[in-house]
Amino acid sequence: MAPKTKPAEAVASEDDVSMNDEPAVDTPSSNDDPHNPARMAFGEQRIRILPGSSDTAASFEFKGEDHTLGNALRYIIMKNPKVEFCGYSIPHPSEDLMNIRIQTYEGTASEALEKGLDDLSDLCDVVEEKFIKARDEYGTPMET
Amino acid sequence: MAPIQPSQEELDRINAETVTNVTSTDFPGHWPGEDNSWSLPSFRKTFKINIHHNDPLESSFSLVGIDAAVANAFRRIMIAEIPSVAIEAVFVHNNTSVIQDEVLCQRLGLVPFKGGKEGIQQFLKWHPRKKDDGMNTVVEEEEEENTKFDYNTIILSLKIACTRNREAEKGERDPLKAYHNAHVYARDIQFKPFGRQEQYFSGEDAIRPTNPDILVAKLRPGQCIDVDMHAFKGVGSDHAKFSPVATASYRLLPTITIVKPILGKDAEKFARCFPQGVIGLEKVDKKEAQRKGSGYEGHEGEIKAVVVDPMKDTVSRECLRHEEFEGKVKLGRVRDHFIFSVESVGQWESDALFLESVKVLKTKCEALKQNLQTMNR
Amino acid sequence: MSREAYQPPVSAPAPTRDAFGSGLASDGPAINYLCGDCNSKVPLKRGDPIRCKECGHRVLYKERTKRMVQFEAR
Repeated sequence: MAPKTKPAEAVASEDDVSMNDEPAVDTPSSNDDPHNPARMAFGEQRIRILPGSSDTAASFEFKGEDHTLGNALRYIIMKNPKVEFCGYSIPHPSEDLMNIRIQTYEGTASEALEKGLDDLSDLCDVVEEKFIKARDEYGTPMET
Repeated sequence: MAPIQPSQEELDRINAETVTNVTSTDFPGHWPGEDNSWSLPSFRKTFKINIHHNDPLESSFSLVGIDAAVANAFRRIMIAEIPSVAIEAVFVHNNTSVIQDEVLCQRLGLVPFKGGKEGIQQFLKWHPRKKDDGMNTVVEEEEEENTKFDYNTIILSLKIACTRNREAEKGERDPLKAYHNAHVYARDIQFKPFGRQEQYFSGEDAIRPTNPDILVAKLRPGQCIDVDMHAFKGVGSDHAKFSPVATASYRLLPTITIVKPILGKDAEKFARCFPQGVIGLEKVDKKEAQRKGSGYEGHEGEIKAVVVDPMKDTVSRECLRHEEFEGKVKLGRVRDHFIFSVESVGQWESDALFLESVKVLKTKCEALKQNLQTMNR
Repeated sequence: MSREAYQPPVSAPAPTRDAFGSGLASDGPAINYLCGDCNSKVPLKRGDPIRCKECGHRVLYKERTKRMVQFEAR
């Protein structure tokens, strides 16, 4: 951690001029903030199919994902009766990559993955709805 | 009442030294005659949430009827992927204290801040990341100077000097009385609003440390600290200082099944094997004593052990160490009952943290679905 | 930027061994040091005895740089 020395004037000028001069119109709205890591996947391609895949048996490589999505997605894809096999792995801990392998009885692996993503976001909707309901019920003094 | 009624075999999972039945098996084709495929209506019907308590800084609730893979995703997101504001850049003008510059800066980075919710969550945007970690934008050193605006940078400063207290008694040994500013606390950090920040962060909503009494450094007369700080939004996966939770964890609901009667002195000993309130002592009533095969025949009026509140159990397995309880009790955990405990450090409400984690997972799914469609096109 | 630039000493010649303690060459700019005992400022020129003028203490410290130093809070 080598400290960087910088002339004090540079910082002062940056504080005084450029920060205030930014026009208000240019502020990105919270939803399409280009630097929000949660939304960055909208702006770039993060999935690719690994070589050697066929229609019904494919490995997908996810950039910037880990066990958080890997395991949840594996579970929900395995719930699909058309899927013969689904597993995920993180090939190397220092590479920010996660692989999902899908093999299907019928339908393509890519369809199974899309259904998995759909199911998972449906699940999130239900969890959110039920949590808000439970919290509101808990909050009212009549209930407790 | 657990919605998915687990079989007893599945529940008895905890032995003295081992656990069994670890992975979930509710997949299509795993059990003959069971469907187990994903269905939203049946999930909606069986999934339940109970709130146990809900304070701004600490909440506890149960998710019942969900798989560990998904519950764990929510927990991981709360720890590592929900944004919060923390000091990232420190400009040291002067520091003559005994604490080294780099150590002081690291300590300042770990101080948690709070402020107006609307300002932090809506108005404040992300600052472009400096380092290239393979997926984020690279901002060159010189370019970085022009990336700090009122909507992505919070400026703070800490300017403090220690002096002798002339009013102190002669021979005073306590540095806090003998000197002014002998201790530097988090509350000494000043917020310097600029641009439109006044609108969002004024009065009650001003950016300030959540815990004003954090000791940052100690000074002696003649020493001073003069630093400016820039705080940005970040996520816990980048650095723990950005994590909005103190802890976010879950445990499975324990089950305790008394298979054969535990009576008299044994019952009292049995109750002492568990935390208070888990096991209760009751008298065997007439009806029970008359019922054949209940094991209580002829024990009317004696004291028996009953399970009152397994949620309070810590699963210490103490009861499995004693010979007299062998074969009389079975311990287990409900596979799909997650008791979450979320402690916020103050920037978010603890219940809002969970809701945000659900939102983040959903956003991930939607973004990747879009990715998949462009890939297939 | 001006404070960043290194200014080489113009007037003083390159130091030699007998610059120490001889007390012959007492020209050149005075550099401030801090006394290790009484914390007073001690301006020293080349060839001056290393000693605090107030209390006679013989341990002196350099002053901290006046430049701003930037760190990452990590």
